[in-house]
Amino acid sequence: MTGATAMHPAEGHPIIKVSGLRVEFQTDDGMVAGVKDVSFEIQPGETLCVVGESGSGKSVTSLSILRLIEFGGGRIAGGSLEFARGSGEVIDLAKAEPDVMQSIRGNEIGMIFQEPMTSLNPVFTIERQLTDGLKRHRGLTGEDARGRALELLKEVRIPEPERRLTQYPHELSGGMRQRIVIAMAMACRPRLLIADEPTTALDVTIQAEILGLIDRLKRENGMAVLFITHDMAVVAQMADRVVVMYRGDVVEEGPVRDIFEQPREAYTKALLAAVPKLGEMRDKPAPEPMRILGDETLRSAAPPPTIGTRREPLLTVKNLTTRFPVKGGLMRRTVANVHAVEDVSFQLAKGETLSLVGESGCGKSTCGRSILRLVEADSGEIQLDGWNVRGLSRLDLRHARRDMQMVFQDPFASLNPYRRLLDQVAEPLVNFGLASGSELHDRVAHLFDRVELPRSFLRRFPHELSGGQRQRVAIARALAPNPKLIVADESVSALDVSVQAQVLNLLMELQADLGLSFLFISHDMAVVERVSHNVAVMYLGRIVEIGPRAAVFENPRHAYTRSLLDAVPIADPARRRPHDDRSFRPLSSPIFPVGAPVEPSSYDEVAPGHFVLRPLAAA
Amino acid sequence: MTYLLNRLFSIVLTLWLISVITFAVTSILPGDVAMMILGTQSNPTALAGLREQLGLNDPLVAQYGRWIGGMLTGNFGHSLVFKEPIADLMAQKMKASALIVVMSMAIALICAVPLGVWAAVHRKKWQDTVSSSAALFGISLPDFFWGIVLILLFARTLGWFPSSGFTDPSVDFLGAIRHAFLPSLALGLGLMAHLTRVTRSTMTGILNQEFIRVARAKGLSEKSVVWSYGLRNAVGPIMTVAGLQVGYLFGSIIVVETLFNYTGMGWITYQALLNRDVPLIQTSVFFIAAVVMLTNFVVDLLYLLVDPRIRMQ
Repeated sequence: MTGATAMHPAEGHPIIKVSGLRVEFQTDDGMVAGVKDVSFEIQPGETLCVVGESGSGKSVTSLSILRLIEFGGGRIAGGSLEFARGSGEVIDLAKAEPDVMQSIRGNEIGMIFQEPMTSLNPVFTIERQLTDGLKRHRGLTGEDARGRALELLKEVRIPEPERRLTQYPHELSGGMRQRIVIAMAMACRPRLLIADEPTTALDVTIQAEILGLIDRLKRENGMAVLFITHDMAVVAQMADRVVVMYRGDVVEEGPVRDIFEQPREAYTKALLAAVPKLGEMRDKPAPEPMRILGDETLRSAAPPPTIGTRREPLLTVKNLTTRFPVKGGLMRRTVANVHAVEDVSFQLAKGETLSLVGESGCGKSTCGRSILRLVEADSGEIQLDGWNVRGLSRLDLRHARRDMQMVFQDPFASLNPYRRLLDQVAEPLVNFGLASGSELHDRVAHLFDRVELPRSFLRRFPHELSGGQRQRVAIARALAPNPKLIVADESVSALDVSVQAQVLNLLMELQADLGLSFLFISHDMAVVERVSHNVAVMYLGRIVEIGPRAAVFENPRHAYTRSLLDAVPIADPARRRPHDDRSFRPLSSPIFPVGAPVEPSSYDEVAPGHFVLRPLAAA
Repeated sequence: MTYLLNRLFSIVLTLWLISVITFAVTSILPGDVAMMILGTQSNPTALAGLREQLGLNDPLVAQYGRWIGGMLTGNFGHSLVFKEPIADLMAQKMKASALIVVMSMAIALICAVPLGVWAAVHRKKWQDTVSSSAALFGISLPDFFWGIVLILLFARTLGWFPSSGFTDPSVDFLGAIRHAFLPSLALGLGLMAHLTRVTRSTMTGILNQEFIRVARAKGLSEKSVVWSYGLRNAVGPIMTVAGLQVGYLFGSIIVVETLFNYTGMGWITYQALLNRDVPLIQTSVFFIAAVVMLTNFVVDLLYLLVDPRIRMQ
């Protein structure tokens, strides 16, 4: 039966027209709708951003268009997906036969996925992965396919394209892999490109490159782009029109300016309010809580301004260096060192937040872990409220750890799935012999109150909680022994933006009430701007710039800080950054041969308390 | 390159350790070679004389030195039971056993890989249940049980294959295969069950990977997505488990070869143990260990071929 294909001219027809899409999943509890009623259309040359938090159904929607949802246990239960094929015929993808879908996938609709590290087959060469689509859809063979693959690599501006063809994915960086994934999606000149969180796993400077690349390819090829993201800042930079999704339904749809400037629906307003915008803290003396709509009081939780108050140092780090050996050779000797943290010095005052920012691999996490001695540093000095942390014996270190706690990034991995939350939060108290019996229970219950979790959660297991709730449990656990310092390593990165705002406010509130100091490790410049008193920017193991938040953000002096700030997308379509598709920059490596001369970090004080790394002779 | 040297070095080290252990253990066994040769009721003077002649009164280290020196120069000594040079025995029996080890591995892989992939593709459906139950059934029952079932079915009732004996493949190749088939099948069934489970779990993991979704998004057919994109990634893990199973096979052949009266390494090791043929025990244990280790070395080399990520390091 050919009822699925209605032959009528595609003139003026949108590339894709989704009407009343409903997608269901078979679960143990019966049918669950992943997407309830979604409709939108995309014209040629237009970018439609579908934005929403986790569970909103945005990825389900994109996978349904390619009919890949069936491989994940889903089923299109209603609605139509009208797609205008290159031949002029309009076809309902929801009813298309599997072989028709195979001829459309990768040919007329290309797709880019989130994780460039896992999107490529590890055991095939780049050439094979670039050409198999061409061979299938275009009938190219051998040299022709190879030639086209080479063209594609040039189009996505990969350096040394000839060499890349013979390489395997693991030999390439994340940014390069994502370029290859894009080249694969572009191979057959698709009419529609679906990009599902294509930059979420990438560093911000590489994100800027990839966004520029997608935009340029769209302009050059006149294709339609369906861009799925959770990041309002990326939406503001990329979209022509926006669809906001929430729990499987479209909440609001409109041109990007309208959505950002005059959102109609409460959900859109709340979502936008929770997004920190880089630059909005200009002229503000101290960190401010995040805006949460419907919570206008802000609980007067703003941390007390520190200006004028006496700043007492809690943590002093001097010349901290942590290196990891690279082993090799017959006897497993150290052949090189990764200089993860190199001559890092800073001070953190009581009741304040110092943020360590930088891109992946810059050493910010290792720095935090070295301070807690979860990783042993090679040299340097760490003073925490009178403790000489590096000189402590095992026993003393145990006591010192009462004063310093950590909150990790992934609340799914940092809680033990087999233990009740009560026991997990109680553990530090039991370990340090701080409480027992009914007092223990009371203290844990108070901690739950403190992080605004209902006491009924005490008896629950981690899997019964949402990501934000779990992160609150992790914070409660860190608070249990009454620490003075909390190292928060990307503690809000895995959370949805509205939840992120709540957790950040909780942290700031705790700081104001308990006088906690935070070492806040993050890659998110907008969040850092919001929460920090002081900021240190790290690059290749060193702090390249450190100073008061306003100085670093409003008057960045180091070239790296500037390029980092330039690359951050801003959640405001009126402040679009030109998509210049920056050319590819190779990353410097923090790996040095054994015994390589290492210069000490020396700084210029460009303003009171604002230090900038002097250029290194070797660099 | 350094990787290979590393591996070779560790193989030599392990073989040396095995030689020490087998020598030590067989030396501790009560009764010595002289008594084995002359019998327990023999004249004490003759016994002492023979002991002196065989060098059994020398320090253990010197005896070990002589033995390992012989091993390195290809002089393995004489079997006490078979009255033949051990070197000749080893050459013959290794050939016999290699035949059933290779055949059982081939039978196992030919059945296990498709069955495991099939189960992984239809995960949580009836096909998966069928494959998993069959695998569990195969794993739960010991090899000799399969041996008995096969003899009853194929030899006694149907008469398709001989129930015992061995034919030299260089003399009569087809006859050799016919004789080796039932023991190989008995060994292969347990092995197949194990490899099916490994294939299923490896493929299940792979089919959930993002690159599989990417392959589908490129419009590749399900056939190439599963059998090329997917299976190619499973080859390494399956091969590794198969390689480790060679060790298990050499353990199992002792029972199965004896059951089928198939005169290979397993059978001869069993005879040597029964009759306290100390030189034969030492050499055959050492040979089996060496073959198992070399097999795994070869698997590691093949791994370099199938997984480019390992080549890098």
